[in-house]
Amino acid sequence: MHRPNRVSVEVQDLHREFETKHKKVTALDGISLQVGEGEIFGVLGPNGAGKTTMIRILSTLLLPSSGQAKVMGYDVAKEPEKVRPLISMASGAERAGYDYITARGNLWFFSQLYGIKSDEAQRRINELSKQIGLEDNLDKKFYALSTGFRQRATIIRAFVNDPKVVFLDEPTIGLDVMTALRIREFLVNQAKEHGRTILLATHNMAEVDAICNRVAIIDKGKILACDTPLALKKSLGAPALVMEISPPPAADNLALLSKVEGVKGYTSSIDEERSISRVQVVVESDDTAQMVLDTTRKSGLTVLSSWRQQTSLEEVFVALVGRGFREREHES
Amino acid sequence: MNLRANLWLKTAYARAWVRTMSMYGEPLWVIVTVGFPLFSMMGMSLLYSSAGATARIGFAILGGIMLSFWGNVLWSMASQFNWDKQAGLFEIYITSPAPISAILVGMSLGGILGTAPSAVMVAVVGWFVFHPPINPAWPTAIATFVITLASLYALGMTLSSLYLVYGREAESFNEALQEPVQLLSGVYFPVYSPVIPLAVQAVASVIPLTIGMDALRRTLFLNNPADVNLVYTELLVLGIMAAILLVVSSKSLKALEERGRRVGSIAVRMR
Repeated sequence: MHRPNRVSVEVQDLHREFETKHKKVTALDGISLQVGEGEIFGVLGPNGAGKTTMIRILSTLLLPSSGQAKVMGYDVAKEPEKVRPLISMASGAERAGYDYITARGNLWFFSQLYGIKSDEAQRRINELSKQIGLEDNLDKKFYALSTGFRQRATIIRAFVNDPKVVFLDEPTIGLDVMTALRIREFLVNQAKEHGRTILLATHNMAEVDAICNRVAIIDKGKILACDTPLALKKSLGAPALVMEISPPPAADNLALLSKVEGVKGYTSSIDEERSISRVQVVVESDDTAQMVLDTTRKSGLTVLSSWRQQTSLEEVFVALVGRGFREREHES
Repeated sequence: MNLRANLWLKTAYARAWVRTMSMYGEPLWVIVTVGFPLFSMMGMSLLYSSAGATARIGFAILGGIMLSFWGNVLWSMASQFNWDKQAGLFEIYITSPAPISAILVGMSLGGILGTAPSAVMVAVVGWFVFHPPINPAWPTAIATFVITLASLYALGMTLSSLYLVYGREAESFNEALQEPVQLLSGVYFPVYSPVIPLAVQAVASVIPLTIGMDALRRTLFLNNPADVNLVYTELLVLGIMAAILLVVSSKSLKALEERGRRVGSIAVRMR
C-alpha cells in the first residue's frame, strides 16, 4: 500500500453493517486506506458502493461496526470532539441553507459553529467567494440563488472554517459544465495553496481523472484498486475496443464476449435514436481486440463500426468488476 | 474567555440571529404570529367577562402572553430541530464542534425574540380593552417567568433529542402531546381549583408550565400573603424541576446522539 509522508486520514479494516427488519446489509467490507496531507483523494464507485457510508464514518456522523478510522491522528469513533474542529463535510445533494437569509448570512452562521470571529469569518467569506465566483450573489437571499450558486455556497461553507480535511460527497452532481469546472479548480487550489486534504467521493470518473492525486475504486464495500489515475489506466495495457452493433443484441448474446481469452470485462449502452448498441470491451492486447471482433461477427451480430479508445477510469472499473457502473447499479 | 464557552455563546447567538431573521423575512408569518394569539385571548377574556368573572380576565391575558413563549420554547424548538434535520442542516451541526445545546438555546431565543411582539400585542390590547385588575410583585413575577422558561427549555431539549434517532415517530409524539399538555397546564384557567380533581392536578403538576402559570397568576393578580408563601414553594419546585430536566436533557442529547451514530439515523431524512 502507498504510504504518504504525513497521513491525514487513516482507515484500517473498516466494516459497517446496517440492519433492516428483513436483512443485514454490508455497506463497508474491510476498507483500508491512507490519505496524505494536501492530497485530493478520490473514492470512485457506483451508487451503493459504500462511498457515502465511508464519508459519514470519517466525518463522525456514523460509527463503524468494526475497524478503525483516524483523522489527523484522532479516532473518529472515540474522539469525535477532537476530529470535528479539524474537518468539514459537504454533499452535492444537500445545498442546505436558510432560504430567507442571504448567502453571506448563511455562511456567517456556519462559521459561528466553529467559533470564528465575525470579522475573520467575513474576510474568509469574501476571499472564498471571489475564488469560486459567488461574490456578486453573496447578498442575495438563499432561495433566490440558482442551483449552481447554491452549490458554490455549499462548497464555501465547507472551507470557511479553515479545515485540515474536507469530505466532499458528489460535490458537482447536477451542475452545468462551467460551474463544475470552477468548483474543481477551486478544490485543486485549496489543496495546493493551503495543504488541505480533500477526500472526494464520486461516481464521476472524469472528475477523478481531472483533479485527484490518487483514487480508490470501490464496489460492494470493498476497495478493488488504489493508485494514481494514470497508473490505474496504464495497468490495463491496451486501449479498449468499442463496437457499434445493430440491431442492439439481447444481453445474453453479449455474454460470449467474456469467454474470449484476454477480455477483462465489457459494458454496453443502447442508442435508441440510431437503434444501435455501443459495446465497450476492455482487452488485454491488440490480439484480444481482434479476437473479440471476429467472435462477435461469427455469432451473427452486425458490427457497424469499431475503434480503439483511449483508456479511461471507466475501463479500469470494467476490468476490475467485469461490468460498467450502470450495469452494476442495476444489479444491486 | 474559555474556548468552549466562547463557542457556545457564538453558536447560540448565531442560531438565534438566523431564527429571528428567517421569521421576520416572511411577512405573512409576522401577521399570523403577532395577530392570531389575540383572538384566543379576546375569546377567553370575553368568556370570563360575560360570566361576570372580571377578576379573572387577567388570567386569559396572561395565558395569551405565555402561550407564545411556551409554544416557541417547547414545541417550536423540537419542530425546528426536525426541520433542520430534514433540510440537511443536522449533518452540518453534528460534524461541527458546536454544542447541540447551544443550537437549541439559539433556536429558543430566536423564537422568543420572534414572538415577543405577539406577547406585547396581547398584553397591550388586553389591557386597553378589558382593564384587568392587577396587583403585581414584579421581581417575583420576573423570577417565576425566567425559571419557568428554563424548565420549559430543558423539556424542549429532551423532546428535540428524540429527533437524533427518530423521524416521523418523534414528530407524531410531539404533535400528540401538544393539545393535552396545553389543556393540563391550564394556560387560560387555574388548574389548582376545587373543580379540577386532585388526581388531574397531580398529573398536571409534572408539567413545569402548570406550576409556572399558577405562580405567575398569584404574583401578578392575587398577591395575598398566603399566595406569596405558596409562590416561593412553587419557585423552589420549578427550580428543582429545571435542574433535573437540564441534567436529563443534556444526558439524553448525548445518549441519543451516540445511538444515532450507531444506528445511522442522524443523516436519515423522512419527508
